[in-house]
This record gives sequence, structure tokens and C-alpha cells, in this order.
Amino acid sequence: MRGRRLGLGILLLGAGALPAAAAEPPIHGFFEVAAGARMVDDDRAADRFLLEEARFQVDFLRDGELGTLAFRADLVHDGIDGESRVEVREGNLFLTPWPRVDLKVGRQVLTWGTGDLVFLNDLFPKDWQSFFLGRDDEYLKQPADAVRATWYGGAANLDLAWQPLFAPDRYLSGERLSFWGGAGSRGPRDGELPTEEPARGLGGGTLAGRLYRNLGGWEGALYGFRGRWGQPRGFDPATGRYTFPRLEAWGASLRGALGGGVANGEASWYRSLDDRDEKDPWVPNSQVRALAGFGREVWPEQNLGLQAYLERTLCTPDAGFTDQNRWGLTARYTGLFLRQTLTLSLFTVYSPSEDDAHLRPRASYQLSDELLVTLGANLFLGAHRDTFFGQLEDNTNAYARVRYSF
Amino acid sequence: MRSTALAVALVASLAAPARALTVDEVVARANLASYYAGDDGVARATLVIADREGRTREREFTILRKDVADGEGQRYYVYFHKPGDVRKTVFLVHKYLDQDDDRWLYLPALDLVKRIAASDKRTSFVGSHFFYEDVSGRSPAEDTHVLKEETARHYVLENTPKHPGSVEFARYTVWVDKQTFLPVKAEYQDAQGKTYRRLEAQQVETIGGFPTVVKARMDDLQTGGHTVLTFEKVEYDQGIAEDTFTERYLRNPPREYLRR
Repeated sequence: MRGRRLGLGILLLGAGALPAAAAEPPIHGFFEVAAGARMVDDDRAADRFLLEEARFQVDFLRDGELGTLAFRADLVHDGIDGESRVEVREGNLFLTPWPRVDLKVGRQVLTWGTGDLVFLNDLFPKDWQSFFLGRDDEYLKQPADAVRATWYGGAANLDLAWQPLFAPDRYLSGERLSFWGGAGSRGPRDGELPTEEPARGLGGGTLAGRLYRNLGGWEGALYGFRGRWGQPRGFDPATGRYTFPRLEAWGASLRGALGGGVANGEASWYRSLDDRDEKDPWVPNSQVRALAGFGREVWPEQNLGLQAYLERTLCTPDAGFTDQNRWGLTARYTGLFLRQTLTLSLFTVYSPSEDDAHLRPRASYQLSDELLVTLGANLFLGAHRDTFFGQLEDNTNAYARVRYSF
Repeated sequence: MRSTALAVALVASLAAPARALTVDEVVARANLASYYAGDDGVARATLVIADREGRTREREFTILRKDVADGEGQRYYVYFHKPGDVRKTVFLVHKYLDQDDDRWLYLPALDLVKRIAASDKRTSFVGSHFFYEDVSGRSPAEDTHVLKEETARHYVLENTPKHPGSVEFARYTVWVDKQTFLPVKAEYQDAQGKTYRRLEAQQVETIGGFPTVVKARMDDLQTGGHTVLTFEKVEYDQGIAEDTFTERYLRNPPREYLRR
């Protein structure tokens, strides 16, 4: 809520400072209804429905002498918690104070890195609940209240994104989806996960940076991050609450055309600042993460993308359930049919080390320029109840969405 | 560059009566007239895509182009205004003659700069009956060209692909206007010699000294559908900055060209 007020504050400030310039009032958006339900029984949840909502998005852009003002917000009625709310996705002012510097201030979506739904150096807020419930991919990205400054140096460019206040991901909390709670499955019947967020203060923010340049058609980047895990990865035995340990990350990536397709590689070193000597069993150890991917057109208008990634925990693994190496393989198929009005896609993640998988089949059909119908599913498979996707098995769901854009 | 073009045109017109142009000269001039007018260009484009039953869909975008040099590589920046679900999406292409193009797609809702794999250039451009290659040009070096006929108004060229396996046509015939060197009609034939696809320039205007096709229609004679492509607000030699075609302007579209 605090973030929303900040976004609106900036909006009003910006609107006051901007003289009317644009001729047409550029208001656009969409209206969408969505429904989704579990396909299997879950004894940790009373409700079969996971998604039952109507969403009205307005998107507004205004140019002035000072800069560009962007505002995009969803009015959502959520039938599952029976409440209506406003979700401001963008409320920012974009400026070019000096010819080589761009500045974006306010609520915004931040993304960088080369992975396809695998994030190493992109440690900006995510909404994993939306992702697993079947909302549009857009909602995987949680907007951040941030200042983003980019300096274009010619030889290289530097991006800095500062979030003054810590904002966690929308992680698996037991609000709607059930998961492994450490000693057994946890779901809505057990109440939400008890967490302790860090004290809100200017020292508790997040700073992320990226230095990037073009290397003969290849895009190279170096990354740095200082903040916290977006998910409650730590635990405080004294209070019985889950915590968000401090995290520092350093990484690099490369992306370019290769063999008729696009190849990418990325690595990151996660330093666990609250457990530097890797002794505390309640705080995740430092890790090295690496990713390699390749995608290309395999048939006209049909693409295949493959990725392999590794999470290697440094030093001895923490007590219990962490493997030292966690492998993942992803495959994405996207095909366009019927003069690009029908899109069929399947995204699959399989982990050989965890023996679990996540499948995301989806079909979207454009009935007209305005009307889009989407059917999809989230399938979770696992040999064990305590692996990342295995814990979600009882949330296997199917969903439908109809969107009218204007 | 414009003065060079004028000088070339002048020399060509003086030289014209002296000797007939060779086929390769006609092809080279048609290529430049169609895809390299000015050093750069900007236009607001509309595609009206109709199926056999007459149901239509519409795409509207602003297209910016900058040439590395005449007849060589180019940069394209395509910003979508319509339909609503792709509004603000940007498609960026660095086109090369000797290697696959570099392509990016910017998805604003995710703030995602996506690198996209080079694709078959003879597939639909944004769901229309035009192919990518029709929009950004087919390299003259891909085909062998024969002057089939010379009429009072047109050079009629027959073009045969050097690598037949890479394209869907067996040959195509192009009518090049003798005055403007713009291709005003093209017909694509299959192996049986049947015409299955036809392009017609429906309206030509001279803008900034460059004859420009401002309305073209592509017919798919097999399925009965067609697309009409219209260019409005065409301007050449705007001095579009080179860095417009970089990541910076994917995230921050150059509004002076979009809000004309």
C-alpha cells in the first residue's frame, strides 16, 4: 500500500509539472475475466478454484517538456478472496536530464538477464503465485518502486536500479497454493507462512547494477546486486518465523546469434551475507548459478528453445534436504498457426537431480483484433513431496482467460 | 547522399538514350528505388488483412529505416500502435547482406528485451499476406534475372531462385516502371507455372524527390485472402540518429517520430 501511495504521489507531481502537449488522450487497456481450478484433490485446501477474477487495466502515457509520464493500473475483482483492489503496475516519470543519461523514477517493471523464465542476475521482484495460478506472463513481474538511471557511454552502458525499500516476491505463502512446509505439506488450511520482514528503512533497500556493451554482434553484460533474497529462505528458530537473508550477487552474461539461432550463457555468484562462514544451517549458503541456452526456428513460424542450468551450493550443503548440485533443463516450443491467430506453446522444466517437473501448455486464439481467448494448464510432477515442483503437485491446475483489448 | 542519387539519376538519364540498361542494372536500380530511398525514412504504416470471407484485421505501426549505405545493410525500427494487445511493442532489426539479421523484440509490460532467432524470411509479416522479405527487401543476389520483355512503360523481368529449396516459388515475374524504377507488379509462380501470389502497387507518390509506393496490395490467390499496405506521413532524410536503433530506444521509443 505504501508503494501505491508513492506511485500516485509521483504521478501527481509529474502531472503538475507537465504542460499539456499531446493532442490525443492516449488511454488504452483491456478488460479480462479469468478462471482456474485444481485438477487434483488437495487435502490442504478447501477450495478447488484457484483463480476467479475480473481485471480492468488502464494504460496512460503523456509526453511533456520535462519527460514522459506513464501510468498503468489494474482494477481487480478477486472472487476467491472476495475483494476488489487496485494494482498499480506503472506510475513513473521518464526523463533525460543529460543527453547520455536516462532516468525513470517511480513504480516500474524491471527486467534484465538472458534466461527464459530462469532468472540468475534478474533479482527484481517476481510474483510466483500469479505465475503458477495461470495469470498472463506479464504478472510474473512484480512492479518495483525504484529509481533507474542509465548512462550511455558509447563503448559501454551502465544501468543502476535502486529500490529504497525492500519488497519481497509474492512467493508461496500458503495463501492459495499448497507447498512443502519443512515438516509436511502446508496449504490454505494451515494459514499463511509466518515471516519476518526486515525493518523498513532507507538502509534496507536494494541496489542492482548492470554494465553492458555490444561485442561484435554479441551482447555482453556484467551484473552486481546487493539486497535480500526475495523469498523467505532463512528461518529464525528463536521466533519460529521465516526470514529474508541478505544477499549479494555478481554475474555476467553473453547473448548472440549462432548457428541460425540465438545462444546465451549466464552465470552468477550468490554470496550469502548473513552466513559468510556457511555455518548457520538456517540461512542458505552461498551458491554459483550457471545457465546455457539455445533457441532457433525449427520449422516456419515454429520455434524451439532449450536451456540447461545449475545451482551449485558452495561448501557443505545445509542440513537435510539440499543437494549440492541442482540441475534443471527447460524446453520451450512456440508455434504460430492460422495466419498467426493461434499460438500453441509448451514450456517444460525438468530437474534430473530433484526428479521433478513443471509443464505449462497453452493455446491462445485471437478471435478478432480485440478479443483473445487463452486456455492453459500448470502441471506439477515430482517423485518427492519436498522438491521445488514436487511440493506443488496438488496445485496442478487448468485455466481459461478472455481478454478484450482497447 | 541525395545529391549523389540525383547525380546518378542525371547521369543515368543522359546515358539512357546512348545504350540500353543491362538486366542487372535494372535490378540494382529497382532494388535501390524500392528499399533505399534517401539515407533514412520514416512512415506510418497500416496493414488491412482480409480473409476470403472479407473479415478484416488491422495492424498499425511506425517504421523507421536507416541505411548503412545504398544497397547494403540497414536498420529497421518498427513500433506498433495497433491492435491493443501489441501496442508499444517494438521490433528492431539490424539487416546484413552477408549474414543472418540480428533481431530484437521489446515487450513493454515485462520490460523485456528479447533477442529473436533469425526466421524464414518468406513467412508472414505480423500475420499479413506480406512476407518479411517483401517489407525489408529480397537481395538481388538470391535470384538470376532475365529480361523477358520490354514494353513502352515496363521492364518485365523473370527471376529464378539460385537455391530453389529455400523458397516456396519456382519463379516470379516483376514489372519495373521505366520512369521510376519501382516494381509495380509482381507475380509468383509455382513449379506448374500457376500464379498463386500477386503484388500490385496501387498508388505511387513522389515524396522528397523519391517516387514512393504508398499503397500496395498482396493477394494470396490460393486461399483468396489479401492484405493492403498503406504508408502515410512518409518522410526521407530526417537525420535519424544511429543510436535510435539500440536498446536505449527500445525502452524509450523516439516519440518525435511516433507522434507525428
